[in-house]
Amino acid sequence: MTAAGGLEARYRRLLRWYPPSYRGRHEDEILGVLMAAARPEQSRPGARESLDLLWSALRIRTRMILRGADSQPWADALAQVGVLLPLLMLLLKLTEFLSAGAHRSFGTPADILIGAYGRPGAYAFSFQANPYSVALTGNITDALTKGPLPAFLLAVLVLLGWRRAAAVLAAFVPLAFLGISLTNGYTLLAGPRGDVTLYAYGLEALILVIAPGIARGWRALQWRPTVLLAAATVAAGIGINGGLWPLLHAPAPHPLDLAGRMALRAQLPHGFIGRLFGVGAGQWGDWLLYQGTLVAVIAVALIAMLAGSPVSRRVLALLAIPFALGAVIYLCSLISPPPPASAGNALAVSPLVLFLLVAMVYWLGHGPRAGQDVPGRPAAPGDA
Amino acid sequence: MSKRPLQEPTFLLLTALAQGPQHGYGIMTDVERMSGGRVKLRAGTLYAALDRVVAEGLVEADREEVVDGRLRRYYRLTPPGGDRLAAEVERLRQNAAVAAKRLELRHRAMGDLA
Repeated sequence: MTAAGGLEARYRRLLRWYPPSYRGRHEDEILGVLMAAARPEQSRPGARESLDLLWSALRIRTRMILRGADSQPWADALAQVGVLLPLLMLLLKLTEFLSAGAHRSFGTPADILIGAYGRPGAYAFSFQANPYSVALTGNITDALTKGPLPAFLLAVLVLLGWRRAAAVLAAFVPLAFLGISLTNGYTLLAGPRGDVTLYAYGLEALILVIAPGIARGWRALQWRPTVLLAAATVAAGIGINGGLWPLLHAPAPHPLDLAGRMALRAQLPHGFIGRLFGVGAGQWGDWLLYQGTLVAVIAVALIAMLAGSPVSRRVLALLAIPFALGAVIYLCSLISPPPPASAGNALAVSPLVLFLLVAMVYWLGHGPRAGQDVPGRPAAPGDA
Repeated sequence: MSKRPLQEPTFLLLTALAQGPQHGYGIMTDVERMSGGRVKLRAGTLYAALDRVVAEGLVEADREEVVDGRLRRYYRLTPPGGDRLAAEVERLRQNAAVAAKRLELRHRAMGDLA
């Protein structure tokens, strides 16, 4: 084989890193440029040239994936989720707060701020039970993931149509959590709910950057899927707190009492679904009566959405991403013997890093997507 | 249309097409010549940039030729691409004028002091 023939074959191998559709359109053209720019008797691609081709292939692949969002159903779904996700997160926090507070006690503002719904005195107790710095950092991370304030602020920014501020806040929550956790040597495999919350914030940051505007999200919202999702969220919020039983019957023991802690431990659910909906061993009868109702509400809402429209299906798929990632992380945490904390942390952090990295690259490369963010009162949901 | 300043390689790419359609290798050598050898677009970077400006509607394919058995695709500036380049030129011209004026004042002030 001649030097030119060998060089061409090697360039073609490098060009295989490009997406097939792009290669179909541009491979011969790029190859022509590469060969024209090659030195006489050059037989191998230079290191810089090779890196440039690989990096460009990555950029083109990323761009093509993101351009997939240009199709109408995906664009509408992304715009809707950009608006819906913060509102559903706030609704979930509100439901948790009200249902836990209703059958126990609402607690102090500090308890509410750290998401200790229905556990009055939890904030003060954390400082009694732990060294100051441990309690403080623990409370801050709780405030970020379990507390209602970030969700509230995010929802307000989205309602105001301030996309950039909302994207920055959504990215700040997981970054701050990771910063605090990693510098303090925490294990991040804390539990599915915390992970899911962090993934939801990371996903929201990414969607706010790539979606075609908050105003379009409001315009694309339809009342039926929105109501179904809201109902499913309320059901999940009540389910997380133990279902309908505590709301309809005697108050649960105080969780900070020894008896209360024992009682709660006895009811501790096992497995992801169990933990999500509070299923305990030997409680299936009660479960079907009190929590099965909630699961049915959620299931009916989701199935109705799946059968709804292409946009609703995509909305559901996007909203499922944090749960799917949380489930994977949780299943990994069940491996016996458990993986080392560093491996678990790396695994838990990877999706977040990916979300935020893609958002940053997109932001730097393109700026926010075209589409006006309309400050002030948004269009009412369903105003299509 | 985006009002973000163009990055230098994109600016030079559009400038290379301002006079008429060019193929990839022509753009590459033109950019290097215009920048005095400071900006060298490699093939991967060039086609990633072309892909972006084509997607933004600033540039479009003009025609294709086969030379020595190899495909050559020519690209040309679109009217929005011409407008974008003109707007960028005006922005740079205004910035340069302000900077030149300030430097002149500075030199005068330093001359007065000396």
